[in-house]
Amino acid sequence: MTGSFFFYFFAAVTLTSALLVVLNRNAVYSAVLLVFCFFSLAVIFLLLEAYFLAILEILIYAGAIMVLFLFVIMLLSLGREKAQEHFRYLQRGLSLFLVIVFFLSVLIIFLSDSGILHQPHGTFTAGGVNALGEALFTKYLLPFEVASLLLLVALIGTVYLAKRKV
Amino acid sequence: MGNIQSISYFLPELMVIATVVVALIADLVYSDRNSYKVGYLVIAGLVVASFTLWLSLPEETTPIFLNTIVVDPFSRIFKFVFLLATFIVVLMSMNSDELKGVRTGEYYTLMAAMVLGMSLMASSVDLIMVYLSIEIVSIISFILAGYLRAQVRSNEAALKYVIYGAFSSGLMLYGLSLLYGLTGTTKLFQLSGSISSLGPGSNLTLTVSTILMLAGFGYKVAIVPFHFWTPDVYEGAPTPVTAYLSVAPKAAGFALLIRFFNTLFGTGQPLNSPVWQAMEGVPWQDILMVLAAVTMTVGNLVAIQQKNIKRLLAYSSIAHAGYILMGVPVLSQEGVYAIVFYIIVYLFMQLGAFSLAIVVSNRYGTEIIEEYSGIGWKSPYLGFFMAVFMFSLTGIPPTAGFIGKMYLFAALINGGSQFYWLAIIGVLNSVISLYYYMRVVKVMYFQGGREKDLYVPGGMSAAIVLAMAIPSIYFGVRWSFLADWVNSSLKFFIAGF
Repeated sequence: MTGSFFFYFFAAVTLTSALLVVLNRNAVYSAVLLVFCFFSLAVIFLLLEAYFLAILEILIYAGAIMVLFLFVIMLLSLGREKAQEHFRYLQRGLSLFLVIVFFLSVLIIFLSDSGILHQPHGTFTAGGVNALGEALFTKYLLPFEVASLLLLVALIGTVYLAKRKV
Repeated sequence: MGNIQSISYFLPELMVIATVVVALIADLVYSDRNSYKVGYLVIAGLVVASFTLWLSLPEETTPIFLNTIVVDPFSRIFKFVFLLATFIVVLMSMNSDELKGVRTGEYYTLMAAMVLGMSLMASSVDLIMVYLSIEIVSIISFILAGYLRAQVRSNEAALKYVIYGAFSSGLMLYGLSLLYGLTGTTKLFQLSGSISSLGPGSNLTLTVSTILMLAGFGYKVAIVPFHFWTPDVYEGAPTPVTAYLSVAPKAAGFALLIRFFNTLFGTGQPLNSPVWQAMEGVPWQDILMVLAAVTMTVGNLVAIQQKNIKRLLAYSSIAHAGYILMGVPVLSQEGVYAIVFYIIVYLFMQLGAFSLAIVVSNRYGTEIIEEYSGIGWKSPYLGFFMAVFMFSLTGIPPTAGFIGKMYLFAALINGGSQFYWLAIIGVLNSVISLYYYMRVVKVMYFQGGREKDLYVPGGMSAAIVLAMAIPSIYFGVRWSFLADWVNSSLKFFIAGF
């Protein structure tokens, strides 16, 4: 029950923030909302017991890729953002709301005796590092190696296109 | 088959990978002025790879690398097409003035890597592999299109290509993930089994997923709602790259399209049954038929207005994608046969037309069709062969293009009465295309002065033109050799596992 509540909650957050990324006119806000989207997506991965993927989602997408996005936005210098009055209230209201929701959800987890924290997960290991590594080097060895070639050609291209001398 | 045992079946691809690595290292050694020599290395590598492929057992049909890709006659013939196209384009590039001023070591290295991507496209039977191979080909295409960094139009081409490419691969990924969500597997053969047991409730999802996946495949072969990048990219990219993009990735896209839809939505009948049963409920055949009709009509109608030879050939290649696409929904051995035959013939005539465009731009410095005036008299060599390629692209009898079209229309007529309307549209389109192909010939012969300087292009350029023109005519007169080869290659790996 609590599991499905969390799923629907975070799915709604993911969808809303993804929608706002597209609808927002300010590129910086869009980028921050995208981080939001990635975080709630990571929570959904957690709910699926794919812990490793959840961490990767945060490290790679919310971390590395978003920094890149922000850099690009900065370099493009899309004009000064204006802190609009009503938006600031919205921001405060939203953050307050989210803090309360987060607090309540943590409270629910600890108060409920459904044992969501202590559930023995048995043999299910698909989301772990071991399982992923094993799959990559047996079942998906060829795609894994081909991905390295994909990265290599992308690297060659980037170096060629970005080097100073024509 | 396990990963280690699979390596012996993967030798041609390994040769290509070795070529990429050697070319990459050699490029470090050569100075800017000598970096074109990497091209020779790549040519040598491609020859070795073709030879290895030739030595591989032609009848072998087996899944390798734990069922991620397959080795079968169908992928084998396509690998030959990719190797040949790359070989010719590397030679064309070495004789193009456009690429003289820039360092070309990376260029040839990337072309070799593209062969690998396309080979994987033709042989993958796993959704992950399908996606990865398409991405390899796409990313290399972006870089090659923008290779002339000093030119604004080349940069513009690359940027447009990237934006459309990212969007369509996003759509395709969504389609693939819907498919995965429905069935829980990424293997094509298991997918086809699970889909037939899904029941009618998920037909809508399957249709949506089909359309989304078509966005990805359609982008690679440039069929109509996904074609917007084509003219700008083809005009802006260096001409040899344009020639390459209009032939090789297109062939790879069709190989993937045929394997994907026949495995997924056919009933898994082997290719020796004349007409396969299509799965009920998902109107993918209707979707493909409409797309084919729209593609060739739009391609031809817009081609009429073009003034630049590269843009003209770009729209004509869209139209040709439409003709080829006609064969996919027929779902018969004849249909696939016609497609493969047409792709091989198309390779010769399209690359031939582009190699002539390169020679003309090297010599006369123009890409505008109106400025081709009098070339037929100034240089009978160029005029005559341009006429040959234009006749062949139209599909006029003594040329190979005619035989290719004949097989396509025959496959449609024999496929059943529901395909008649498509065949009629196809014929009407051939008539439209006659107009703009003949205009090029008309300008060359009937406009401008008739001074004669009897220009014959030097060595390699002339040889490439000739090497493309001979099959364009020869296969129009005697095509039994090619027909036999294509016929013997129509074996997919089909049994489930």
